[in-house]
Amino acid sequence: MANFRRFRPDDLNKLSKCNLDPFTETYELGFYLQYYAKWPSLFQVAEDQHGNIIGYIMGKLESSPDVYRFSEHYLPWHAHITAVTVAPEARRLGIGRLLTEQLEAAADANNAWFVDLFVRTTNHKAIAFYKSMGYSIYRVVKDYYGDNLGDPSLPSEDAYDMRKPMKRDVKREHIREDGEKHEVDPSDVW
Amino acid sequence: MTSYRYGRPALRSSVDVQLQSAFSEGNWNAVVRLAAKRAATFKDPYYEAIKMCAESQLDGTAEKCGVLVAIDELMQNKKVPDLDIIELYEWACRDFLGYEIEYAETLGPLRVRWAKANATSPLALQCMQACLEKWDLVSAQQIATTLDKTHANSTDRRYLFWNITLTFLLSISPQCTDASRKVYSLLAVRQLERAADLTENWPDSEPTDRGLRTEEEICLYYRVLLSHGTKEEFISRLQSPNLGAIRQLKKGHKLLFCEGLKALESWGEWDCIYSICREALTRGIEGETTPFFVCDLQVWKKFAVAASKAADPDNALIEVQTLLKQYIEIKDKASEMHRKNLSLALLETTFRLPVTTLDPDHNSTGLSPRVVQLGLYLDQYFERLAAFDDIKYYITELSFEEIKTFMQAVMPRIVDENSDKSRKIVLKVLECKLRYLLTTCPQTLSPQPSVANGEVQDGPFQCRLCNKPASLPCRCCLKMVISSASELYQQIACDSKLSDAIPRLDKDPRLDLALVIGISLLKLAGLKPQTSDTGPSIWKDIDPGLFLQGVLVLDVQLKVSPRDNELRLLLVQLYLLLGCASYAYQLWIPLDVKRTIQDALSPIFFDRISNISPGLFQGTRSFMEPLRAYYNNTLRDACPLRIWDAFSSGSYTSILDMVEYDSDLRRSCTMMMALVEERRAIRCFGGRIECEIEAHPLTANITESTILVNKTDYGSFPNFESINGPPLHEFLRLGPGLSNERSHLAFLSEQYLDLLAYKPPKEYKPSKANEAALRDREYTIEVLSRLSESLADLLHKPETPSRLNSGETSYYTIVSLLSAALLTAISTSRNDPPPRESLSLVTSSIKTAFATLRGTLPLSNPVENPRMPQACYAFADIQTLSWVRDAALAIRHSAGFVLAIHDKELARDRSGRSGLHRDVLAEMRALYEISGKALGEVKSTVQRLKEALAEGGWLDRLLDLVFGGEDQEEEDEVRKAVGEMVGGRAGAEEWAGKVIESWREGMKGWGMVRME
Ligand SMILES: CC(C)(COP(=O)(O)OP(=O)(O)OC[C@H]1O[C@@H](n2cnc3c(N)ncnc32)[C@H](O)[C@@H]1OP(=O)(O)O)[C@@H](O)C(=O)NCCC(=O)NCCS
Repeated sequence: MANFRRFRPDDLNKLSKCNLDPFTETYELGFYLQYYAKWPSLFQVAEDQHGNIIGYIMGKLESSPDVYRFSEHYLPWHAHITAVTVAPEARRLGIGRLLTEQLEAAADANNAWFVDLFVRTTNHKAIAFYKSMGYSIYRVVKDYYGDNLGDPSLPSEDAYDMRKPMKRDVKREHIREDGEKHEVDPSDVW
Repeated sequence: MTSYRYGRPALRSSVDVQLQSAFSEGNWNAVVRLAAKRAATFKDPYYEAIKMCAESQLDGTAEKCGVLVAIDELMQNKKVPDLDIIELYEWACRDFLGYEIEYAETLGPLRVRWAKANATSPLALQCMQACLEKWDLVSAQQIATTLDKTHANSTDRRYLFWNITLTFLLSISPQCTDASRKVYSLLAVRQLERAADLTENWPDSEPTDRGLRTEEEICLYYRVLLSHGTKEEFISRLQSPNLGAIRQLKKGHKLLFCEGLKALESWGEWDCIYSICREALTRGIEGETTPFFVCDLQVWKKFAVAASKAADPDNALIEVQTLLKQYIEIKDKASEMHRKNLSLALLETTFRLPVTTLDPDHNSTGLSPRVVQLGLYLDQYFERLAAFDDIKYYITELSFEEIKTFMQAVMPRIVDENSDKSRKIVLKVLECKLRYLLTTCPQTLSPQPSVANGEVQDGPFQCRLCNKPASLPCRCCLKMVISSASELYQQIACDSKLSDAIPRLDKDPRLDLALVIGISLLKLAGLKPQTSDTGPSIWKDIDPGLFLQGVLVLDVQLKVSPRDNELRLLLVQLYLLLGCASYAYQLWIPLDVKRTIQDALSPIFFDRISNISPGLFQGTRSFMEPLRAYYNNTLRDACPLRIWDAFSSGSYTSILDMVEYDSDLRRSCTMMMALVEERRAIRCFGGRIECEIEAHPLTANITESTILVNKTDYGSFPNFESINGPPLHEFLRLGPGLSNERSHLAFLSEQYLDLLAYKPPKEYKPSKANEAALRDREYTIEVLSRLSESLADLLHKPETPSRLNSGETSYYTIVSLLSAALLTAISTSRNDPPPRESLSLVTSSIKTAFATLRGTLPLSNPVENPRMPQACYAFADIQTLSWVRDAALAIRHSAGFVLAIHDKELARDRSGRSGLHRDVLAEMRALYEISGKALGEVKSTVQRLKEALAEGGWLDRLLDLVFGGEDQEEEDEVRKAVGEMVGGRAGAEEWAGKVIESWREGMKGWGMVRME
């Protein structure tokens, strides 16, 4: 039922199966295109027989801006998962995992130290998903999200910054056992 | 140099602090004064430029335009300009670009001049970027060529590929003259071919070489070949050792493989598809690529189809199956997804084998290998959400015998007796969906003689499933589907064990059951695809009771599964059909269609919304704002969003795709819909339309020959129909979907209305009134002849009638005729021979078309149905009301326009010589009168509908329609089933209340609509 291939802009007209799901954010056009422009091979989709997009991953490769080089929050060369989503009808088939593994392979090919991402602390499904693939919590970003999907009466929600070390990190220097105890502010992350 | 794009350019650091700060504070008078002083002191033209730049920010028109003159001077003198000055000017005239001056004729060439003279400077590259960001491809390409020459030995490969990419972009751009198009095309191909040959012959050369190395470079080559090269060349490269698709796969690059297959398919090169798929899949098995890298369903499908088209299909298909078996042997290593793909591939290959090869006499038993394979597939996957979608097309390919065997012998055996209850239910739900599917499959019908056993038969066909006379869909089968699905629904509801199990299932089985029941009811009611020839009110051809039952069942289910988008989308459409737009809107909002996905999804709700519910535009200020804002923000610049990012990252295929996407978005039918709907609504309430539609920035590049593109995404609609008929969403729309033809008709009609509404600004008092009047008339005639010609051409295109519903056909025909009538009217002066023939021919066509349209006005043809309030017919037919009003106003304003011209001429020239012809005036007065009458009718229709709604007893009347009134004692099966599902009459009260309330709201809106 699925094909895996690189994203192309016309796919934005076929996102309804993924993006009408409330856990999947819809961004401005420029945001998608920026990723497609800069890291096209890190933007991959799964499509069904009719060309509907049933899953996608959007990522980037970067390090923190140079001015932060001496900050304790400086991030060395790494891959970042900006969005990963699978349409409800196609979940638990390994699509999310395949998309993520593909990005990890690109991260290794580009000699990245680790792959990281932000996830709502209440998005238990996604956290279970990342953990199953070897990601662990590196730190907690307080009030990272400006809304709260779990409890709409609250103004914000924390994020876990989760990480998985890549081949380059032989000594596992970039992950933590007790990441949940490390809290930072949104201004500390880029 | 700093970027001027988002703010003022920074001045040179040598400029003194006082001037710097005046400039950065925007204190323009001070800047003018200071800069003039410095210019006098230092004799540096830079200060003159600063002065000019500051002056351009002042209010006076002369000052503003100084910079344009200065730019022109720079152009005239052939010297290399100062880059800082160009920067200043570019910023200063930013608001004139595209209007007073063209970048590509002024600043672009200046930048080229500078870049050519300073090719080694890093700023030359920024000149290219600046040209690109103004979408001046001619200048950008010239700079790119210069840079490429300058950096021929650089390790930065981008110079070469920027040059090639820009040359290619130019060759396919309207900016390129036809004369040079060929040259640029050749240039792009040649450069890439040279690069390709280099790589093919010396695959491991230096990073400074001018060959193709990265995936992006290679794919750029193929894209250019596809566009400008030959098919033979493309195919031979695709199979070549170093630049071929297989080599790329081995490097972990799949893009070329995917794009190559697509191109081959478009050419029908199946032999080549066959060999490439075989090789790619073999490499996977042999470990030269990651094993499941190309194990996509479409690869297997293409492989199987290619095999079936081979010279020796039997052997070719056996080869496919052999390879597939090898994959199946290692499937334990695969993800669930790939395992499923392999199972589907097995199905696919079975279905592609010639029937005779499989089993010569399968027809006798029906247990063909195809049926067996389907059974095996379901054994593994029947519980999956996508199971129905996965097998749907295969089921529709089966013969009737096979279908029978499959449903009777195979399906029931998929779960055994002792199996878990919830598994059994899931299978039964799937069975219900399949049984519905079969009601849409023609092979379930057989022709029957019109008379059998001496009796005249109902239908020309007999249903082979239930043996009743039938046509598609078989009513008897639909009823059976409804009753078994609702039985199942009740069974789940009453069994607490099953209800508890629901959260653990992929999907609540009740949801699919409700969909099957609801859709079957709609079909049973007689709902047909809403094409150009279906009547305006759905009620006229369908059974209201059954239809409302369907809506009710679905609505009740939405309370149980509020998160389900399929169901929600379906209901949105159904309520629009019913004329409950405000309720449809309430259901639409939670879908949170915003930002990027609006272009594809908005038409589902917004198309034709001003026709059925102008009231929605009142009060909800944000009603269409997000859509408007989306286009305004995204398309503000001429340049595709983020294009420089793609250039600087060397993502060449991204560049090409982004350009294409941008071009499609600028021609979006949804965008045109947004503009038109909003204008129509504004007119309903007498508001002010900001600018003429043709002058709107979003339509700047849309001409009559522009093909407008429709990208509406119906992918999230439920669709249980077979491929033999239209998908479900086509049954639910208010008419044919968005199209190039309809969008252009709307665009042209709006232009026509703009022309009628045009009033010169009050301060416009031309000194030579006579000349001005003549010019005005000439201009009007010119516009009218263009509009009437284009409208007529469009309406006469063979595909146009199928793109419009009946109201639209009438309205656009009338507008087209009006423009023709006006053209004749205005060009015929008093002294010309009477235009009787030509004009009255047109006006009588207008009258006929309008009379026909008026004849369909809601309430004007009461339908014989004692149980259905006449008003209900009208609510589902509000579109007609709207088209009558719009047509009447178009007629009225057209006639008024002509008469006003005449009056003006009389006032100007007392002799009366320049007035219009008497016959013309008579015709126009007649039209004016007719329109007045029609508007009166519309008004009274609205009034009558409001009064009807104000009467008591609506709730009962609506519920009677659904459940049958007291006079209808006999319970029919279907109604009983629905009653049980929704909790009887009492359970439906809230729903009925909402429907009625929404009608009231709609009519309230109509009450405010102006009829003048
Ligand atoms: C998170 C998400 C992407 C997972 O996609 P998926 O294709 O269903 O995941 P996979 O099938 O590849 O799952 C891989 C593994 O992750 C774990 N996992 C995935 N979904 C899980 C769930 N709902 N609960 C528990 N574990 C889960 C399992 O270990 C699973 O392996 P298994 O199926 O063999 O047990 C998907 O649920 C989704 O799109 N959610 C909404 C969007 C979202 O939250 N994105 C993340 C934002 S940061």
